[in-house]
Amino acid sequence: MTVETTPAASRRRDRLEDILVVDADVHVHESPGELAPYCDMPWRKSLEVLANVPERYLDIPGFSAGAGGLTAPFPGGHDSKRMVTTADQMREELDKLSIDLAVLFPDHLLKIPVLPQKEYAAALARAYNAWLIDKWCSQDNGLLGCLVVAPQDPEDGAREIEKYAKDPGIVGVYLGLAGVDPLWGNRKYDPIYAAAEAAGLPVLLHSVTVIHPVFPWQIQGYDTEMARHTVAHPFAVMANLVDMITTGVPVRFPDLKIAFIEAGISWVPFIMNRLDKEYIERRREVPFLENRPSHYVRKFYFATQPVEEPENPADLVTLINLYGGEDTTMFASDWPHHDFDHPSKVFQLPMSPEARRKIMGENALRFFNIDEKGRRLNL
Amino acid sequence: MARTRKEFTVGPTHELQPGQHRVVDVDGREIGVFNVDGTYHALPNLCPHQIGPLCQGRVSGTLISRKDTDWQRQWAHDGEIVTCPWHGMEYHIATGQCLAFPEVRLRTYEVVVEDDQIKLRI
Repeated sequence: MTVETTPAASRRRDRLEDILVVDADVHVHESPGELAPYCDMPWRKSLEVLANVPERYLDIPGFSAGAGGLTAPFPGGHDSKRMVTTADQMREELDKLSIDLAVLFPDHLLKIPVLPQKEYAAALARAYNAWLIDKWCSQDNGLLGCLVVAPQDPEDGAREIEKYAKDPGIVGVYLGLAGVDPLWGNRKYDPIYAAAEAAGLPVLLHSVTVIHPVFPWQIQGYDTEMARHTVAHPFAVMANLVDMITTGVPVRFPDLKIAFIEAGISWVPFIMNRLDKEYIERRREVPFLENRPSHYVRKFYFATQPVEEPENPADLVTLINLYGGEDTTMFASDWPHHDFDHPSKVFQLPMSPEARRKIMGENALRFFNIDEKGRRLNL
Repeated sequence: MARTRKEFTVGPTHELQPGQHRVVDVDGREIGVFNVDGTYHALPNLCPHQIGPLCQGRVSGTLISRKDTDWQRQWAHDGEIVTCPWHGMEYHIATGQCLAFPEVRLRTYEVVVEDDQIKLRI
């Protein structure tokens, strides 16, 4: 018989509030009026005009593309317009959710890839980055920023990364993947990857629903937001992950850390196995890969939100284990968006205490290269 | 005690010119014998992927891609690669190394030439 020698206090089950919770995805609300003072001319003038345009949820013409302007909102009581407009508000709300550190993403600029004007998109990204650091990350508040780069202008994106490479408030680079054309494996983006790798900043590909004539197209015909939202996020992520693997991004940039945000995790084993199957027959098309695609997928990080909620929660743990996700899965809430996940939903999954601590926080510390106070370890 | 190896005659050398290969039945085993640029090699006629008849596939080269050529695809190993006719798995004939999977390496058989006869030692 084994004698229990562990002190009673440490035998007790962890509670959510006892452990470090790092949230890989929360959203700040940037409005055209807020960004205008930070924006270079002449585009500041455009933002001053847009400041007077009534705003719908992630939907301002000329700023963030809505659902095509053709669909009626479904009636009901689910208010999807929650937003966070100040760092103090964010800190207060995250405290109530037991979240210690959180990584900030934009609201509207999630859709920056679909803006057709290259100079405008780049100016917006620069304005957002300056505003984010000024208004959100300049305090010791556990709020850590992701730079926005415009895929329309990779050279400008690389300059932004170099400019803020040593900023203590910046821990990553947001790459908008919904609606992006070409996909993120294209070599035109190499300057962004090279700059991020050199700066020691990870890149985070974050999904969103957009109606745009790129994969996954045809979602404009769906009757419901349920259908659009089901398909848009994971399929946009998969399109980009497949492109990045089959063009060799993780081989060209072996020290670059890459994460995929806001698509849940249940698609990961599927796409990994699908890629491995194709690789058997078509390796010569991807001769830069030195091993099967899953070898590289297993090095990517994945954020949990919107976390799948199968009837048997153990199914989700099985799915995570299928891609070796105990060390590469990061909790994310997506606060304050309509489909946010309370940390307890991931915390209560039937995992070992060690795995739970990793997924709730420790994996994110490693991914972002920060300590438990959110201090960068590579400055 | 080392197992005694048997020797089997494949045929005269002039019947297997550089670039040619053929499958022979040896004691119930199918073995592919290859002449790569004047050097003889032999592999089992069995692809471990899905038991395809590997050595009935084409001998060709393959594509490689490296940093020093800016990741552009290059033609390489011309005449040194056999591709399984079923699903396209590629193997380096001389070593049996599978190009897709570092951990997969086929066994190779010793091939000798005596009196203008190609012989397998198994």
